[in-house]
Amino acid sequence: MANYVWPKFGTATVIGKRHDRVDGVAKATGTAKYAYDINPAGMIIARLLGSPHAHAKIKSIDLSPAKKVPGVVEAVALKKADDELLFQGEEIAVVAAESEAAAAEGVAAIKVEYEVLPHFVNDTDLAAAKAAGMTGKGGKNISLAKEPGDDDDEDEFTEKEINRLLKESAVVVEGEYGIHMITHMCLEPHGSTCEWKDGKLVAHLSTQNVSGTGPQFAGPLGITADDVTVHCDYIGGGFGSKFAADTWGVACAELSKKTGRPVKLMLDRDQELKIAGNRPSGFLKCRVGADKNGVITVWDSEQWGTAGAKPGVVSEKVVPYVYEPKNRRVISHTIKTNRGLVRAWRAPNHPQACAMSQTAIDDIAAKLGLNSLDVFKRNLVHVANGKAEVYAAQMDVAARLIGWNDKWHLHGKGPKKGSIVEGLGLAIHTWGGGGHTSKCTIRISPDGGVSSTLGSQDLGVGTRTAIAAVVAETFGLTIDDVQVNMGNSKYPASGPSGGSTTIGGVSESNRRGSLDALDKLLAVVAPKLGVTADQLEAKGGRIQVVGSPSKSLGWKEACSLLGMNAIEAQGEYVRGSKDAKTGADSKLSNSQVGGVQMAEVAVDLDTGVVKMKKFVAVQDVGTIIARKQAESQVYGSVIMGIAYALFEEQIMDQASGAFVNCEIADYKLPRLGDIGDIVVEMYEPESEYNRGVVGIGEPPVIAPGAAISNAVANAIGVRVSTLPMTPQRVLEALKGRKA
Amino acid sequence: MKDFEYHPAATVDEAVSLLSAHGERARILAGGTDLLVQLREGMREADLVLDVKKISELARLDYAPATGLTLGSTTPCYQIYNDKTLTAAYSALADAAHIIGGWQIQSRASIGGNLCNSSPAADSIPALICLGAIAHIAGPDGRRQVPVSEFCTGPGKNALKRGELLVALQFPASAKHSGSHYRRFIPRNEMDIAVVGVGSWVRLNAAGDKIEEARIALGAVAPTPLLATEAAASLVGKAPTEANFTAAGELARKIAKPISDMRGPAEYRVHLVGVLVQRTLAEAVTRAKKNV
Repeated sequence: MANYVWPKFGTATVIGKRHDRVDGVAKATGTAKYAYDINPAGMIIARLLGSPHAHAKIKSIDLSPAKKVPGVVEAVALKKADDELLFQGEEIAVVAAESEAAAAEGVAAIKVEYEVLPHFVNDTDLAAAKAAGMTGKGGKNISLAKEPGDDDDEDEFTEKEINRLLKESAVVVEGEYGIHMITHMCLEPHGSTCEWKDGKLVAHLSTQNVSGTGPQFAGPLGITADDVTVHCDYIGGGFGSKFAADTWGVACAELSKKTGRPVKLMLDRDQELKIAGNRPSGFLKCRVGADKNGVITVWDSEQWGTAGAKPGVVSEKVVPYVYEPKNRRVISHTIKTNRGLVRAWRAPNHPQACAMSQTAIDDIAAKLGLNSLDVFKRNLVHVANGKAEVYAAQMDVAARLIGWNDKWHLHGKGPKKGSIVEGLGLAIHTWGGGGHTSKCTIRISPDGGVSSTLGSQDLGVGTRTAIAAVVAETFGLTIDDVQVNMGNSKYPASGPSGGSTTIGGVSESNRRGSLDALDKLLAVVAPKLGVTADQLEAKGGRIQVVGSPSKSLGWKEACSLLGMNAIEAQGEYVRGSKDAKTGADSKLSNSQVGGVQMAEVAVDLDTGVVKMKKFVAVQDVGTIIARKQAESQVYGSVIMGIAYALFEEQIMDQASGAFVNCEIADYKLPRLGDIGDIVVEMYEPESEYNRGVVGIGEPPVIAPGAAISNAVANAIGVRVSTLPMTPQRVLEALKGRKA
Repeated sequence: MKDFEYHPAATVDEAVSLLSAHGERARILAGGTDLLVQLREGMREADLVLDVKKISELARLDYAPATGLTLGSTTPCYQIYNDKTLTAAYSALADAAHIIGGWQIQSRASIGGNLCNSSPAADSIPALICLGAIAHIAGPDGRRQVPVSEFCTGPGKNALKRGELLVALQFPASAKHSGSHYRRFIPRNEMDIAVVGVGSWVRLNAAGDKIEEARIALGAVAPTPLLATEAAASLVGKAPTEANFTAAGELARKIAKPISDMRGPAEYRVHLVGVLVQRTLAEAVTRAKKNV
């Protein structure tokens, strides 16, 4: 059995190098087909009716007027009389028609009688939520260095101890920090094109979960998962919101079955924003004590927020974020609101936790008149994820890249040019990113062709490119020599793309499968070269004797020895599994990364506009497989971070409970001119390479909120308490008001 | 979106007669950048979409330094900012033309269409008003003229009556020592709807140390774009200083009556009026000083 390791540090020829995406041209030229682009012959278009009310009960639904609209083929109700609707946009019915226009007209013709019920959409005011009876049980994260005595009441002891520690602190920061609810805003909305062939369903689905969605269709449709093929070659964004078949996906399949025609149902933009995923909001009130050097001595905070119509809140377990002082009390409350349901959003819990707590750490620096970088560094004594030294080294790299020492000034003490002031801020993050369970088939054909086949997907990661790099590295070929087949649930199952698990998982299975396939090939080639298989290696497009490259065969010639029999090897990795013989952890993949990010901003004191000047992201990543794609993850994350730091927000009308900016023009994402200069630096000493592959789809999106907030506070000398820091909130903060 | 008839009119008379016959059920198509979205989103309906781009009179662009500019109503934005002479003579208009959407939109969208869509936040309208533009209208009762400052009557509403269409916009000759600037406030760097928009025009004395005449127009802070008469009058005879610009901004703030919406509360928009009046005046004066 092969030894499952990566080439020694510095010897790899394909992995870790810069490669263009293997599907880049297809994506750029439009030949790449997304679910939205699948148009089978005879297809009809379906549209969804959503609730116009934030909270209502359905008294009756009448689909017959919709069925009378010319062009309408079929209509199906997803709700019935007496069902409760908990948020605006909640799915009520679907209509399929010969044209988009007829489907829309059909939807408009459906007659629904509603009993409108009182709604609650306010997530910022905990007292109001309590008064309205909308709060629920949160959690506690309490730790004290001193233990209570046997006779002490635990809560009382905690209260006393926290107050004592605060009193003894050199400084206490009392602050409020918050971050509003945002949505995923996938460029390609959720949806599918469904067709039935011989009683079996083919769902062309925009999904980050190719291998896992079949059963979700099968159950409600009364078929088995074997009768479902989920197909997704390309996806236009998911960010954690596209793991499921969804009610509208199943409805699409059902309409297709009923009408005997292929049906396409993609959400409209406003529906995409209202019902296809939210990230919970988070608001935190704290008292934080520190010594005169800014090192935290005690943390006391209470937090709340909403995850929409079902209870949920940013986890108190990750507050304060990364820095975990031994003396802390964190209490959370959930607020139920009539807002859409939460879905995983890139690094669930972490961006909010970072924005709510590492801002307070920066305020300690401001209050003590210290350099923020010094305070963040000194507090590394509170880092419990074992990466304190890595953070310290990354801080030095980031500081050099942004010019921290030259540009630093105390909070609010920088020079003013006209109405413009500038500032610096930083924050740090952590994430797991261990590989998921993945299977693949590696095939070597007698004509020299090489392929990898697996039911994975490319969520924007560059999965095809990474897989091709792994296989090419193993066979001594180039990535253009490798055909990667993905995006079909009939292929060997590979995990969903969530939790930054994909590159770890597919690199594991593909390296293992390729090494096993290579062993089989070497066994065939060895007699021809008069050596044993273990004396051979695959290098530079040849199979050669180690140390005597002249004794070799070209790849094609070597493969031709296979005669009629292609080699097929199954690569398999089970998440977290140990080596069967030695019990050791896999050397191919690992988990747990950290990163340091720094922001430089310019703020216009007259208009409140925050301009990004520069953003530096230093990231550790273990073994890098495809360098450009790894960097691309960081660029994308930083831009997404700038979006929620400065622009992105779900704006609710308190009076009607409506999501008022659910349009692409009104739901603000940054333009190219808003992101400034982004510098991505991979932190990769040999020790990092030797750890194995770790996914980084999520970690770099965590720290921008806090880093940019801290930079703004450094520029203007006051804290803008809530993200996004819109111009209006900046001006309010300057006036000493909360916004 | 409902089905509609499409008809390209060849002459102004033909267009007027079709518009008279169909009234509200006919919609004029020039660049289409507003209309197509409105039809698709169900914000407007039409039985007839009347394409006026093929009417040569509407596509004319006549400029002479002595007489000024006649801008056919279908002239797309890019034709203005690509023309150095026009950009120099009517800077505020070029400023606006340059920031309406991205360049794909600017290649189609017309200034006339921006005016006729009559959004309170339209970028070109404060520029047109501060430059003293006149709307030339054709209708069943013949031709008439309306100052752009009086053209808009409400959000999406204007002085055009049944059967009428905008033929051209006429601008006075660009005076020596005059300069203009349009600027809007948007939260993002580009491609956004104005939270506040301000167009300012000034004419200085030959020495450049006194304002002889000024016009200031505000957008996005009332149901229609506004001419800030008192603010402009306050500058006449005064030196072009920051303090005087700020004072004019204070007066302009008084007439701003914005609503509070998702783009910002009223108080904040009123504040921005002052900032933008001051900034547009400063730039208009800088330009005026170069215009000798």
